[in-house]
Amino acid sequence: IMSGSKPDILWSPHHPDRYVICDSELGLYRIGPTGGSETKAGALPLSEETAATLLAINSDTPYMKCVAWYPKHEPECLLAVGQANGRVVLTSLGQSHNTACKELVGKEFVPKHARQCNTLAWNPVDSNLLAAGLDKHRADFSVLIWDISSKFSPEASVASEKIRLSSVDLDSSTVVTKPLYELGQNDACLSLCWLLRDPKLLLAGMHRNLAIFDLRNTSQKTFVNTKAVQGVTVDPHVHDRVASFFEGQVAIWDLRKFEKPVLTLTEQPKPLTKVAWCPTRNGLLATLTRDSNIIRLYDMQHTPTPIGDETEPTIIERSVQPCESQIGSFAWHPSSQNRMVVVSAANRVMTDFTVFERISLAWSSTTSLMWACGRHLYDCSEDGAEGAIEKDIATKMRQRAQSRYGHDTVQVWRNHLLAGGKDSQLKSSHMKQCAEDMELKLQGNKQAVVYSGIKNIVKTSSGTTESRRCWSGSDRQSDVPRYHSEERCLALRLCGWISRGPDIDVEIFLRSLEHEREWERAAAVALFNLDIRRAIQILNKGATADKGDLNLNVVAMALSGYTDEKSSLWREMCSSLRLQLKNPYLCVMFAFLTSETGAYDGVLFESSVAVRDRVAFACMFLSDAQLPRYIDKLTNEMKEAGNLEGILLTGLTKDGVDLMESYVDRTGDVQTASFCMLKGSPGDVLKDPRVQCWIENYRNLLDAWRFWHKRAEFDIHRGKLDPSSKPLAQVFVSCNFCGKSISYSCSAMPHQGRGFSQYGVSGSPTKSKVTSCPGCRKPLPRCALCLMNMGTPVSNCPVTGKSEEKVDLTRENKLAQFNNWFTWCHNCRHGGHAGHMLSWFRDHTECPVSACTCKCMQLDTTGNLVPSDSS
Amino acid sequence: MFVARSIAADHKDLIHDVSYDFHGRRMATCSSDQSVKVWDKSENGEWHCTASWKTHSGSVWRVTWAHPEFGQVLASCSFDRTAAVWEEIVGESNDKQRGLSHWIKRTTLVDSRTSVTDVKFAPKHMGLMLTTCSADGVVRIYEAPDVMNLSQWSLQHEISCKLSCSCISWNPSSSRAHQPMFAVGSDDSNVTYSGKVQIYEYNENTRKYAKAETLMTVTDAVHDIAFAPNLGRSFHVLAIATKDVRIFKLVPMRKESASTGPTKLEVQIVAQFDNHNSQVWRVSWNITSTLLASSGDDGCVRLWKANYMDNWKCTGILKGDGSPLTGSSGQPTAMSTVVGSSVQTSQNALNGMSSRSELTASHASH
Repeated sequence: IMSGSKPDILWSPHHPDRYVICDSELGLYRIGPTGGSETKAGALPLSEETAATLLAINSDTPYMKCVAWYPKHEPECLLAVGQANGRVVLTSLGQSHNTACKELVGKEFVPKHARQCNTLAWNPVDSNLLAAGLDKHRADFSVLIWDISSKFSPEASVASEKIRLSSVDLDSSTVVTKPLYELGQNDACLSLCWLLRDPKLLLAGMHRNLAIFDLRNTSQKTFVNTKAVQGVTVDPHVHDRVASFFEGQVAIWDLRKFEKPVLTLTEQPKPLTKVAWCPTRNGLLATLTRDSNIIRLYDMQHTPTPIGDETEPTIIERSVQPCESQIGSFAWHPSSQNRMVVVSAANRVMTDFTVFERISLAWSSTTSLMWACGRHLYDCSEDGAEGAIEKDIATKMRQRAQSRYGHDTVQVWRNHLLAGGKDSQLKSSHMKQCAEDMELKLQGNKQAVVYSGIKNIVKTSSGTTESRRCWSGSDRQSDVPRYHSEERCLALRLCGWISRGPDIDVEIFLRSLEHEREWERAAAVALFNLDIRRAIQILNKGATADKGDLNLNVVAMALSGYTDEKSSLWREMCSSLRLQLKNPYLCVMFAFLTSETGAYDGVLFESSVAVRDRVAFACMFLSDAQLPRYIDKLTNEMKEAGNLEGILLTGLTKDGVDLMESYVDRTGDVQTASFCMLKGSPGDVLKDPRVQCWIENYRNLLDAWRFWHKRAEFDIHRGKLDPSSKPLAQVFVSCNFCGKSISYSCSAMPHQGRGFSQYGVSGSPTKSKVTSCPGCRKPLPRCALCLMNMGTPVSNCPVTGKSEEKVDLTRENKLAQFNNWFTWCHNCRHGGHAGHMLSWFRDHTECPVSACTCKCMQLDTTGNLVPSDSS
Repeated sequence: MFVARSIAADHKDLIHDVSYDFHGRRMATCSSDQSVKVWDKSENGEWHCTASWKTHSGSVWRVTWAHPEFGQVLASCSFDRTAAVWEEIVGESNDKQRGLSHWIKRTTLVDSRTSVTDVKFAPKHMGLMLTTCSADGVVRIYEAPDVMNLSQWSLQHEISCKLSCSCISWNPSSSRAHQPMFAVGSDDSNVTYSGKVQIYEYNENTRKYAKAETLMTVTDAVHDIAFAPNLGRSFHVLAIATKDVRIFKLVPMRKESASTGPTKLEVQIVAQFDNHNSQVWRVSWNITSTLLASSGDDGCVRLWKANYMDNWKCTGILKGDGSPLTGSSGQPTAMSTVVGSSVQTSQNALNGMSSRSELTASHASH
């Protein structure tokens, strides 16, 4: 039943955009880009980018069993079709004006006994030779090699000669019955391929063996007994490597040692239908099994040649799924890298598919991504443009480090501006530092007070007094009790509600909020200070301000109707409608007004309200019993969430470290953690291994980014706050004669260098003479270039004017002084003035000392790297 | 927003690994062409190949840099069953002037009987130590006792993992609270052997590495594994490339002072993404472990990022050849699984994410 024959695909040997699908008929397709000018309306999509156009159909040859495309360029569209009766017919697709083609098309090659033709193979060099493999017939051969240039069958030579004379009877002249070679008697041939290493050799998968026939000596054959006789195919890259299969197993053969397979691949549960070497990649074999929608790929790695030791070639196994439906057949594109066309088992659905190389990738320390795909590298970095995605913390930290985030130690609160000023958490953490700053001043710097957090402050609260104040702008005696104590007052200051000094008025704070256009917040603060008139005033101002929200007037109106009647309509409406207010501050205003005394959960647990406002509120309205409980609860909430606003509560205590740990766990922002915790007490907080770990990690990040100046500045900053972190002097120079350190005069402040060492000689103008060892008075070594003793100031910069005026430490001046520093190579131990050495190595690679071949300047690769944060 | 550009690599066969040095200014690549190439980044950001040499007699699987405080040192491993250590030296000719550098082999580690599949230097605080794993399932830890002499390496530990090893990763945490730890992945494709990722921890008392954990839920072949830079976090994060991308969180349990066994780890799966819809080949973390890149057999590179709530999402997809991803998806296989959910534009860099992966993530984190 021929119509059900399995489909196959053949790429044109010469047109990279053409292929033939053969099932019950032959269909020639051209593949092109989707939407290209060549694609017509009827184009079939093969992939996102490509579509196929049917160019020609040929249904002249029924009972097709196998097809092979003529390998020579001309005639270009000639195909050999093997039929179920064993006949091989030459046919063509599309119109050909080639005369050679016209002669050949329609030619038939007929075996003596009819049986199925299983396989066809054109000789790659002598393209007149077409090998056909047939089923077994006891009286006949199964491998027939036809010469397509044969004009007639020898049996009918006499007759055909006559015909030739008349030269009209095309029919009989197209039938060839005498093969050039007949091989494999009384056997079956299931697969064939010509060997690329010698085109006189034909490899055949026979009934129970693989045989190599030599056309020069057809009486002999090399063979090996095996069941794997199907689909023999030579690796186009390694001409001695052959694959064949049987059922679910693929065998790989090396023709040089043909006794047994060099390798058998893992057996598949279903029988294989096609095995093909990739023409564009060395050692890549694709296999397909029946009823499957995946293609398995075997990447064979070159076998090393071990000395006397057997090894197997290694296989990287992969599977790819080109389409959803079950695959009928596939064919590698002859030249496009790793590309294949796949045809479905049913309905001739085609897919253009490329097997991607496995991509290896790596991030650099500066967040650029490099990947390797096949033989190519791709460098991928974050675009500088402000994208929609929030920047990664690594990028943020880098930018913040560059903008000196954390380094403003005088005006600590400005640091959040340095960080970009968008992060409310960072802002509040620095507000805290600002508050801490204030607290230090408040307490008159009695001792090194470390901010211990509102949690600890309110714990010690004593002498709390209760007051009931009138509502400003209302005659009614308020029910609302307010609490006062020194600690609560301090807490309010830390929250930023009242400023330093004896003044406890919130007016300054309100004005600053108005200035920031935080109308709702200002109104809420005013209201919590029981000044309803001020609150209304603020809302009015907000409504009338430029781009103001007119709805604020409505809120003000509602506010003005405040009544403390428990059962009033106002109360009822406000407590239900307040939840619809989008602004949390407006919401908590009405929550406050409608709540019972002492039950302010609507305010206290409104998480959209800033922590410091809630804490300030709590300090005003919660009793000594309620307040610590609330603060504890809020603290734990903040710790759990890693919310930096909570630092206000925890302070820089162990609690604060816990909170920061949770923040670092979530964000990786060791930068903020390091700067923040540096302010903690050196005893508890700074010695906490977690804090040490964050600091080390932050320093490591700065180093990896080559922000060495920033790291050094951080270390200086750290050294001020934690004197134990200061490293000891790193380098001493000892005298060649007495062995004592010569650096006595500058031992108090040794110059520290990185990558190379130097000895400052002109840093201190008070030193009169340092060209000799202070211990034994022997002269110090000489500069290899100027031959002056070490310590002699040199001037290789042109003296500008009357230079001896004042020690002006300009940048240029510092550089000139650096030129006087004594440097030497660790390797050859020759040296000289830094300026002289640098200018020498600008033109030379070897040391200036005679007969020394040391390449001093090239020894240290890291030393040649420039910091990326230097101005 | 990420933009890719191509670099002419000039390797004669597949490139198997790329590796940056500590500062990100140098890069090494290795290939089936048996060579390693070293690349230096010039001030204008261009990469220049400054060394290329034959390193092995088989495919070179991996190449990796030592920390620069040990010098300019590379290690490579190969199918030829060896690993090698390379050091850059000052050339005898004027190589530097011609923009070339010279690398010499310091040692060949020949202990493995099979292909050496991965090589990694241990974190620098442990000293100069090198780890290899091989197809026969053995992890070897070498130490250079004298950092001045890189030709002397002693085999300190040999750990049999029973399964063919494909990849290894050190926990980079330098915290004294954490013992040295590494994870090893197996590409054994037999799913009946479960637990394709094993985690080993150093025990100070026995001075040996002992298995601390086996990730039993990872049953398919593992191709790559990567501990995230710890950055002072209280837990460890491990990314795994198997039939999908997986992110695990390993939370060390508070140890009772008396116990001497390995640290108990609480293993949580944080995310699991099958967006590649194929085998995942490599995973790599950025320096803060806030971005993960993965590559798969779908020929795409995907970027993953977590939000504050530890929900991981795909934040970008790029095709392996750097070309833009057009249409609704790169290829048919991907199309079928991210139906309708991917909002991809014709840019190289996308903010598209699949709601499916979101679901997976939130589901997994519960």
